[in-house]
Amino acid sequence: MRGALALALLLAAAGAAADDRLALTGELDLRLVHASGVASFLDGGVGVLRYDPDHEGLRPGRAFLAARLRLFDTLTLHTVADAYGDHDRHPLDLSEAWLEWRPFPVSALRFSGRFGAFYLPASLENRGPGWSDVYTITPSAIDTWFGEELRTLGAELEARWLGASRGYPGDVGLVAAAYRGNDPAGVVLATRGFGLSDRPSTLAGGLGRPPLTVIHEIDGRTGYYAGLSWHHAGRLELRLLRYDNRADPGAVSSAGAAWATRFIAAGARLEPDEHWTLLAQLLDGDTVVGPGDAPDDQFRMDFRAYDVLASRTLGRARLTLRYDDFRTRQRSGFYGPPADESGHAFTLGAALALGEHWQTALEWIRVTSAFPPRAVQGVAPALVESQLQLALRYRLRGSW
Amino acid sequence: MLAPLAAGLLAGTALAGDLEVAVLDRAGQGVAEVVITATPAEPGAPRPRPAAVATVDQRQRAFVPRVLAVAVGTRIEFPNSDSVSHQVYSFSPARRFQLPLYKGSPHPPVEFDREGLVVLGCNIHDEMVGYVYVTRAPYFATTGEDGRVRFHDLPAGGYRVVAWGPRVADPPASLVRELSVAAHEPASLTLRLARELRARPEPRPRDPDWEY
Repeated sequence: MRGALALALLLAAAGAAADDRLALTGELDLRLVHASGVASFLDGGVGVLRYDPDHEGLRPGRAFLAARLRLFDTLTLHTVADAYGDHDRHPLDLSEAWLEWRPFPVSALRFSGRFGAFYLPASLENRGPGWSDVYTITPSAIDTWFGEELRTLGAELEARWLGASRGYPGDVGLVAAAYRGNDPAGVVLATRGFGLSDRPSTLAGGLGRPPLTVIHEIDGRTGYYAGLSWHHAGRLELRLLRYDNRADPGAVSSAGAAWATRFIAAGARLEPDEHWTLLAQLLDGDTVVGPGDAPDDQFRMDFRAYDVLASRTLGRARLTLRYDDFRTRQRSGFYGPPADESGHAFTLGAALALGEHWQTALEWIRVTSAFPPRAVQGVAPALVESQLQLALRYRLRGSW
Repeated sequence: MLAPLAAGLLAGTALAGDLEVAVLDRAGQGVAEVVITATPAEPGAPRPRPAAVATVDQRQRAFVPRVLAVAVGTRIEFPNSDSVSHQVYSFSPARRFQLPLYKGSPHPPVEFDREGLVVLGCNIHDEMVGYVYVTRAPYFATTGEDGRVRFHDLPAGGYRVVAWGPRVADPPASLVRELSVAAHEPASLTLRLARELRARPEPRPRDPDWEY
């Protein structure tokens, strides 16, 4: 994976004479953290936040380098290399690497495509470079899960109707993708429940301690997603996505079992004026693991989450308040405490851009959740966890 | 906002008058970004001279100006003043063109040699939309925030006045007027729109470095 980035840099050097062939965005993000609660799932515990009382103070947040290399006018290579400074398998890894085919529109209907490894086109929050969240430090429970367990390793095609030429101020797109490598999707949700963390998986890495592999092909079956997105007048965005990894829940490999996971994700973002953003997201789905010959023995779990967010800009500052609500319900395959989670979280965030290169952000999260399987680790099922973070970020852009 | 009219064309015209055109929405408020063209009824009217090179800038992920009226034959440059790259195109029949991904001003100006509406887009940022209105009319201007344009020293005579704006939803036939301009006597025309304006497709001004 790192080879791809090296290749990108090499190609860029070769084509350096062409203007804007290579664009790089790099960011260093350092945190000052105060956390209360139990050990984080990232450190082998059952806590749902990224940091915990044993991992607070001055912490590395993230370092990333997002590269965009234009190979031809219509073909672009994108890579995002990440370092989170934790105990993942590789200190530096790619989180995304894809080829984008985007020809100039020749009519109101434009086709484009992506091939490679990339995030699901479902998050309304993570729209920044390197899939960064533009509103808060920590994404919602829904987007946390998307980042942790879902990555498209395959091909995506989009057809978008561009309304401007027909007098309509907006566009409507249909997207569909076929992918592999998402067979473990669901395992984190079933074992931890929903989390709120800005620590997504990288392509060759794992999640937690010991690292749990979340991007892996087990059953050789191709999954799909298909969705619709609509932009109106630069003020309203609606998204709907149907996802089904079409995994064989009876398949097992050395990397673990395949989880048959499917869901519907919906979202709406409204910007009623130049300062306010109102956003809502909904996730509803289920996951199954275990051989199908004894359905009562199969582990089957439903999950549902929603979040609502209000954000306002004040000059170069942004204030954000978000409410998350999430629950899981186990339906069959009871071998221990039921994987029935119910929880909610409040997130209060403030960000201030200090010029072109520096940004500081402050965030407070309080999560209240109950998840019976925590008792297996000797922790009370009901927990209240909180986390206060101050982030200092330095971002650099360049193009050649 | 009066476009650079072919004032020189009027030299030697002894009998000239002024014309003010106002475009009002249903609430009586002026409508900005409406192109008004005035064409003399008599044949043989002077042709507009193309401006040297006109400019449509790209700032804060928006075309500036969003609506530009130009005479047929005008060349337009499309500098990108943003820190992010843009990929400007149009597939409008009046002028198809494509400017591969760029920042700054690496591309030569584009000539607009056919009459008609050219809708501009950015292939990276779909919310960026701009309009170039290419006209043969000798007199043209775009309304400002007050919804008005003023033409000075029009040769006296009959005129056909046409309005077009991206937010105007009224049928084109209802946006054409015939009127006379008399010498030394200001004429005025008010176009009251019957339909609601289309939503303003205005992307919010974003922090270019910290928002995407």
